[in-house]
Amino acid sequence: MDMAAPRETQSESPILRLQSVDKLFGDFVAVERVDLDIREGEFFTIVGPSGSGKTTLIRMLVGMDKPSGGDILLRGRRINDVPANKRPTCMVFQSLALFPHKSVGQNIEFPLKIRGVPPAERRERAEQLLRQLHLPLDYHRKPVGQCSGGEQQRVALARALAFDPEILFFDEPLSAIDYRLRKALEKELKDIHRETGKTFVYITHSLEEAMVMSDRIAIMRGGRIVQVGTPDEIYNRPRNRFVSEFMGEVNVIEVERAGERLRDTATGTELVGPHLPEGFRHGFLVVRPETFRFLDGAGGAATPNRLEGTLYNEYSLGSRLQYQVRVGASVFLVEKLREQRYLGQLDDRVTIGWDPAEAMLFEE
Amino acid sequence: MSAMSTSRPMKWLLAVWIGTVLVFLYLPMAAIALASFSRQRYFRFPIPRFDTRWYEDAFTSLSVRDLLWTSLTVAAIVTVISVVLAFLGALAFARYDWKGRSVYQKLLLLPIFFPQAVLGLALLLWYSALGIPTSWMTAVFAHLVWILPIATLVISIQVYGFNPAWEEAARDLGASRWQVFREVTLPILWPGIFSGALFSFLLSWGNFPLSLFTTGADSTIPEWLYSKMVSGYTPLVPTLGTLTVVGAALLLLGAYTVIMLVRRSRQARATAEG
Amino acid sequence: MALDTDARSLESELEDSGHARRAQAGGAAARLGAWVKQPGPLLGGPLMLFLALGFVGPLLLVAAFSLIPPKTFDLSGGWTTQNYVDIVTESYWISFAWSFGLAAVTVVCLLAVCYPLAYAMTKVFGRAASLLTLLLVIPLFVSENIRLFGWVLSLVKGGVLPGAADLWLGIDISGLLYTVPAIVLGLVYVYLPFMLFPMVLGLSMVPDRLREAAIDLGASRWQLFREVELPLAMPGILIGCLLTFILALGSLAESKILGGSVVVMIADDIESAFTFAQNWPKGAALSVLLMVLAGGLIFAVLSRLDLDKILGRG
Repeated sequence: MDMAAPRETQSESPILRLQSVDKLFGDFVAVERVDLDIREGEFFTIVGPSGSGKTTLIRMLVGMDKPSGGDILLRGRRINDVPANKRPTCMVFQSLALFPHKSVGQNIEFPLKIRGVPPAERRERAEQLLRQLHLPLDYHRKPVGQCSGGEQQRVALARALAFDPEILFFDEPLSAIDYRLRKALEKELKDIHRETGKTFVYITHSLEEAMVMSDRIAIMRGGRIVQVGTPDEIYNRPRNRFVSEFMGEVNVIEVERAGERLRDTATGTELVGPHLPEGFRHGFLVVRPETFRFLDGAGGAATPNRLEGTLYNEYSLGSRLQYQVRVGASVFLVEKLREQRYLGQLDDRVTIGWDPAEAMLFEE
Repeated sequence: MSAMSTSRPMKWLLAVWIGTVLVFLYLPMAAIALASFSRQRYFRFPIPRFDTRWYEDAFTSLSVRDLLWTSLTVAAIVTVISVVLAFLGALAFARYDWKGRSVYQKLLLLPIFFPQAVLGLALLLWYSALGIPTSWMTAVFAHLVWILPIATLVISIQVYGFNPAWEEAARDLGASRWQVFREVTLPILWPGIFSGALFSFLLSWGNFPLSLFTTGADSTIPEWLYSKMVSGYTPLVPTLGTLTVVGAALLLLGAYTVIMLVRRSRQARATAEG
Repeated sequence: MALDTDARSLESELEDSGHARRAQAGGAAARLGAWVKQPGPLLGGPLMLFLALGFVGPLLLVAAFSLIPPKTFDLSGGWTTQNYVDIVTESYWISFAWSFGLAAVTVVCLLAVCYPLAYAMTKVFGRAASLLTLLLVIPLFVSENIRLFGWVLSLVKGGVLPGAADLWLGIDISGLLYTVPAIVLGLVYVYLPFMLFPMVLGLSMVPDRLREAAIDLGASRWQLFREVELPLAMPGILIGCLLTFILALGSLAESKILGGSVVVMIADDIESAFTFAQNWPKGAALSVLLMVLAGGLIFAVLSRLDLDKILGRG
C-alpha cells in the first residue's frame, strides 16, 4: 500500500477522465452520472456486486458501447465516438476470448498481424512475452484449447500486452479460476503492472481481490460510484453501510438515538457509539468481527458496550477462529487469532463487547 | 464416468441393438448393390451369375448423362444459394437477440415439418398460377424451400457455440470489421458452414418428392428411378441407384478428407509461423 | 470452490443478459434505434422473404384453390365450400384414418427402436458417437425411393430375405411385400434419423452428474428413467415424435412402393386428385385439411419448447 504514494506524484493530469457518464438501455439506467479520474500508471479497480453497472462502464471505456450522456476523455481528448479498434486501449475479457482456432503464438501475435508487423518481428515479440509471463517457448504452437486455465490467463494477458495499449482493462478475468491459483495470479498481475508501468483498470466483484492489487479502488452500486479511495481509505473509512458490508463479514446493529448514547432497537440494550453526527436519529452500527472481545476476564468490566449471549458455534479460518454468538434473536460473529482463542465450550454463556471508537456508525 | 451406471451385459445388449439397427439401415442398399451386379433382367436371390454389364450400359447411356447433369446442376446451385442465405439466417437464429427471434425460429422450422409431397404440389400450383414454366430451375427453388431451413439449423448449431467476445476481442485488438470477419468469425464458423453445404448438396441430390412435381420436362435421377420402379423395371434402376449411393458416400468421404487436410494445414501453418 | 465460481460466473452472465434484455424494453425512440442497430432482422430477412415466396405464398394459394368449384382451374369463378362438403360425404375419412393410424404406429415403433440407440450413443459409447452418427446419417442422403426400392428387392418373392430364408432355413416368407406391416417397416426405416437425432439432442441435455446424483440417492434404473432422464430429455423426444408423426402423416412413397395398393394414404389421395383426376380444388381442400391438422399439432408442441436450450447444447 505504501507504493501508492510515490505513484500518485508521478503525474497530475489524469490519463482517463470520465465526466458525468450515463448509460441508458431504454428506460433502464445502467450507469448514472459517473465522474472518475484515472491517473497515469496506476492500478485502478472498480468493484461492485452483480448488476452494479461495472461491466457496462468498462464496455464504454473500451469502446464497445457508447455512453448515452457525458464525456470520456483520454489524455484530454474526447473519445466517446471512437470505436474500439481505433482506441489505444485494450481489454482482457472475462471469458478471455482466446481465438480457439489459433495457436498460443498466433493469439499473441494477432494484434501485431493486424497492424502489419512482419512475421519475424512478430515472432520475436511473442517469445519475449512468453518469457515475461513464464510460459515455455514451445507453447508458441500449442493450441489454446490444450492450455490449462492459468496458462490461458497468461496467454490472454500476453495478447493484450502485445497490443501495447496505453491503458489495459480487465473484466473479471480471474473469476473462473480456483482460489489458490487466483491468489497467485493476483500477485503476478500486480508484478506485471510494476514491470510494465502501464495504467491498469480492473473490474471485479471481490473487494478482497481489489485490495490485493490496487493503488486505488472505486466502489460501484446501482450504476453510481459510491466511494473512491486507496485500499486503506476504503478499509478504514468506508463512506456508508454498503461499503462497510461489502468488505466482508461484519456485524450490523440497528440503533436509534437515546440521548447521547444509542439504543439497540432489537434488544433495547444501551450502547455507546463513536461520535454522533448532528441530528442523528436512527441508523446502523457496524462492528467488525475482529473488534469484538470476550469479556469474561476482570479487565472487561470497563467496556461500555456489552452483549450477553450463547456461544453457538466455532469456525476455523486458519490463523484465526471465528465464533457465532447468539444474543436473543440476533447472531454476531466474533473473530480471534488462534493464540487468543476462546477456551470454553459450545453453549457457554458469554459476554462480548467492543471499544466504542472501533465501531462505525452510519445514518440511514 | 457415465459408464458406471451401465452394467456389462447391458452394454452388450446395447451394442447388439446398434448392430441390428445398422444392418436394418444398410440391408436395402446392399440388396440394390447385389441386384446391380446380377446378370439377369429380373432380380432373384441368391444371384445365379454376376455381371457388370449394367454399369457399362449406364456409363455409355446418354439419358443417364443428362439425368446426372440435371441432378448435379440443381444440387450445386441449391448448395451455393443455401449456404449464403442460411449463414446469414443462422446468425439471426442463434447469434443475435432480437425482437421477433422466437417467432422467426419457429416459422423457419415449419417447412421441415411439412409433408414434402404436399409442398411440391402446392409449389406446382403456385408456379402455374404465376405463369412460370416448370423446369430444373423451378426445382432449385422448390428444393431451397425445404433445404434452407435445414441448412440454417445445421449452421446454427455451430453459431450457438460462438462466443461474441471473440469478435469483440479482435475488434478491441485493432481489427477492422472485415479483418474480424476474415480472421475470426469465418474460420471459427467454417465447420458449420461446411456441413451446411454438405447437407444442402446431398439432400438436394437425393430429393424425390419435391422434384417430382417441380422439374417439368427435366428429370433428376431419383425421379427417373421412381418412374422406372412403378412402370417398366430395368436393371439400370439398381445400377443407377448404387451409383448415387456410392456418389454420396464418396462426397462424404471427400468432405471428411478436406476437413482433415484443412485441420492439418492449419496446424502446419501454426507450426511454421511459430 | 467449484460451486462458488460457478455461481459467480452465472451471476455475471445474469448481469450481462439482464442488460441485453433490458436493452429491448425501451421507449419508442430507443426501440427504433435498437431496431436499426439489431442485425437480426436484417440477417434473417432474406430467408424470411424466400420462405414467404416459396412457402407461405403457395400454401395460401392452395387454400384459395380449395374454395373454388370442383374441377375448375380459375380463381375468378366465385367461392364455394363444395370441395369440403364432398370430402366429408365421400369416403376420404378412411385415408385420413389410415394415415393417422399408421403415423401413430410408426411413432410408437420409432420410440422403442430409437431410445436404446440414442441412450447408447450419448451415455454409453460416447467415444464412438461421431462414427455412429456418420453411419446413421449416410442413408439420409440417399434418395428415399431408392432405399425403399432396396426393401422391395429384399422382401419381394425371390428377393434377399425370402431367398435367404428359403436357402438356409427352408421356410417360405415370400408374402412380406405389399402388406400393411411392410408399409410400417418402410415408414420406420425412412424416418428413423428424424426420431433419433432430436432424441440424442434431448438425452445429451441430461447431465451425467444429475444421473449419478439420482443413483446416489437410491434411484433404481426404472426410477432413474422415469424421474430424471425422461423429463429432462422430453423436449428432444417431443420434437422427434412430432417430426416423425407429421412426416409419416404426409408420406406418399412408402405406401405406394411397399404397400402396393393395400392401403391408400391421404397423400395418395391428394396426389391423384391433382394428377389423374385433374380436380385441383379437391386436392387443394384435402391438402388444407392435412395442413390444418398437422399445423395445429406443430404449434401445440413447438410453443412449449425453448429452441435455444435444445439446440444450444448441440
